[in-house]
Amino acid sequence: MKISYNWLKWYIPDCPSSEKMWDIFTYHLCEVESIEPLGEDVIFDINILPNRAHDLLSHQGIARELASLLNIKYVDPTENYKIPTSQKTELKVKIESQNCRRYSARIVRNIKVGPSPDWVVKHLESIGQRSINNIVDAANLVMYDCGQPIHAFDLDKLSGVITVREAKEGEEITTLDNKQVKLKPVNMVIADDKNVLAIAGVKGGKVAEVDENTKNIVIEIANFDPVSVRKTARGINIFTDAAKRFENDLSATLCDYAMRELCGLFVEYGFTGFEDVVDMYPVKQEEHKLSFSIKRIANILGREVPKEEVLDILKRYNFYFEDKDDEIIIDVPPMRLDLNIPEDMAEEIGRIAGYDKVVGKLPSPSVFKRVVNDRHAKVAWARNQLLLNGYSEVMTYSFAPKGEVSVLKSAGDKSCLRTNLSDGLKESAKLNNLNSSLLGMTQVKLFEIGSVFKKDAEEIHVAYGDNKKINELELTEFCDLFAPKLDAEAMNMDLLVSMASRAKRVMPDKFTMWSLYPFITRDIALWVPEGLDSTEVQKVITENINELVVKGPDLFDAFTKEGKTSYAFRLVFQSFEKTLTDEEVSTVMQQVTDNINTHTDWTLR
Amino acid sequence: MQTINEQNPSNKMGTEHPLNILASEAYKVFSDLGFEVTLGPELETEWYNFDALNVSKDHPARDMQDTFWIKDKPGYVLRTHTTNVTARAIEQAGKEGRIPCAFISIGKVFRNESTDATHEMQFFQIDGTMVGENISIAELKGVLTHFYKKMLGDDVEMEFRPSFFPFVEPGLEVWLKFRDRWLEVMGAGMLHPNVIRNLGLDPERVQGFAFGGGLDRIAMVKWNVPDVRLFYQGDLRLNQF
Repeated sequence: MKISYNWLKWYIPDCPSSEKMWDIFTYHLCEVESIEPLGEDVIFDINILPNRAHDLLSHQGIARELASLLNIKYVDPTENYKIPTSQKTELKVKIESQNCRRYSARIVRNIKVGPSPDWVVKHLESIGQRSINNIVDAANLVMYDCGQPIHAFDLDKLSGVITVREAKEGEEITTLDNKQVKLKPVNMVIADDKNVLAIAGVKGGKVAEVDENTKNIVIEIANFDPVSVRKTARGINIFTDAAKRFENDLSATLCDYAMRELCGLFVEYGFTGFEDVVDMYPVKQEEHKLSFSIKRIANILGREVPKEEVLDILKRYNFYFEDKDDEIIIDVPPMRLDLNIPEDMAEEIGRIAGYDKVVGKLPSPSVFKRVVNDRHAKVAWARNQLLLNGYSEVMTYSFAPKGEVSVLKSAGDKSCLRTNLSDGLKESAKLNNLNSSLLGMTQVKLFEIGSVFKKDAEEIHVAYGDNKKINELELTEFCDLFAPKLDAEAMNMDLLVSMASRAKRVMPDKFTMWSLYPFITRDIALWVPEGLDSTEVQKVITENINELVVKGPDLFDAFTKEGKTSYAFRLVFQSFEKTLTDEEVSTVMQQVTDNINTHTDWTLR
Repeated sequence: MQTINEQNPSNKMGTEHPLNILASEAYKVFSDLGFEVTLGPELETEWYNFDALNVSKDHPARDMQDTFWIKDKPGYVLRTHTTNVTARAIEQAGKEGRIPCAFISIGKVFRNESTDATHEMQFFQIDGTMVGENISIAELKGVLTHFYKKMLGDDVEMEFRPSFFPFVEPGLEVWLKFRDRWLEVMGAGMLHPNVIRNLGLDPERVQGFAFGGGLDRIAMVKWNVPDVRLFYQGDLRLNQF
């Protein structure tokens, strides 16, 4: 969500400089996506956490939070909102859906649609919103300011009672942006006696759109069930800032503030034709209390929590509370739908004070009564056996084109789960066999240990083999076959240590990506006098090749006959930039053979 | 039937998959701290993958977009994390009267999303939990700091930032400073009382922490592996370590 620094400063004039805000947000509230200067303003893009989306998806919300967090002044704007004089109304509203928790509506007559005041345009543009007209802009401005979505209808385009109800099967609506949407009963709508006017909480309709000729409007400030709005938005694939706020469960008490703010703004616009608010609020949001002990908070956070620290936080956040000996009981503010259990207060105190205050502690390992996991012991044992016997480890995909179990919908091209490892391993063997000279392997031996999925069972299998033959066994069968006497206890602890660390091998620091171009192999065989070490020849070859050789010279054959030794070396050529030509490789080979020929007692074969 | 015990002295040892090198090292580090290794199913019930973990019926994570649901088997999913495994283990330990307990599980998890260099439909997750009378965020911090220093070196820095996950409260993100860059590596927090209750324990008497994060990601930052998809191609050129 985008937040304007200048806008925030309306409410918290003592807000720290924008450079300091990254730390404040990151360590005490939420992640910061970006901080960008915009003219004389600075725009923060922050990711409000789902449990705070009730009260923080707005400038006032953030300002209130920061004021309490930083213990700075919050300038409450509500006292300055101008209150209009109001006439009796004939407006009728009916709530027929359980998913509408509150519906406030108000007629404003004799309005004039036109451009918005400059400051409104500027505010909206700072957070990336386009100005449309003074009515739509006012509704948007109030939403980004206090968090409550607002809609306005052209009164003269309505007929009869405004009803909040479930859509009828097959009903349709043309949205403000001219999309034709077919509705289902799971979608809640706002309708009059003739038409569907809006998809509740998601998007307005064309039929009662406010346009340049609009004279009289109805303001809608409502509260809808979050799940219903989310399902509808997903179902019809329309995502709006309004829907995003409703989805996160807003407090129905917010409607009052939004109505005051919007009408105050309309008074500033010079509008006078206000009628009384029609407020349908069938089930009031319940007030609730939360009690917790300081001891509990300290036990969760793992640090000492002085009582003064907690009381100070409660005061800064304007919580009404009762301080009993062991227990603190707070009246949860209506907007703080996230506070329900003592753990929620532990989070409040933890994040406000900062988690850097917690000092890490290692518990003694001896307090845990461990048992050995039989399955893990078997997997580790099988893996080590295969590695020791020269099999190399691969992982392949769990998805397959065919299988006995499949998934409902997949973002990928395969929707079945594998029934065996052999199919994947065969493919892998083929691939690696082609690369065997690159890998420096004379014989490619592979294995995989992993889950396979049969109609009614998931099994762990072990598959191993080479290009010619793959064997596959269920894990326990494998272990029984090769180690019938080993029990889990004996297998386990030692095997937790990886082969790599057991062998005390020095691992390279970095992964080296391979070339995606084809490689070419060339062999050199030569006779040298008996007793000459192969490394002598290797040295000469190495001195005469260039960076196109990615592997080798590797000795792959040696034998001695009649006082002479034959050595055969393999070179693998490959470029990261292109497919090598025969000529490029031959040039290098020529250089090598020329040099070998300068040794009079060496003979190329 | 071919035997694997050829005992051919010229046989070189096979090469290891990098993720399993890390998994083995991680198991060793946690095992030394008293954690017990545990494994569990990849095809899991909705209960252990979501409900028991306090993920409500309407939570967006359950949507088709993120989760692989099993065809003709309502109520089953491919697990979206390995927290299901540690949850099962806590439940079992509770029944056996083995509290305090600590579990670590590394395994394949699945997300129904399109793949690119940093996203894969299957990847490896490391998931741990510790439950007892006084297991707090201090123990979480101690354990994870120790773990990352062992895995990535002593100069790594770790910090917690506020976050939200349905199965924990408070919820935390774990960030690491590695080679001068801050990276988000795990989600963590104190097990939500609803989770403790769902696993048959009394949240008034026991509490604990949980953490989980991608193993692929650790491998990618440790060794500079450019593309997560390389891990599952069956290509031995990956086994460089």
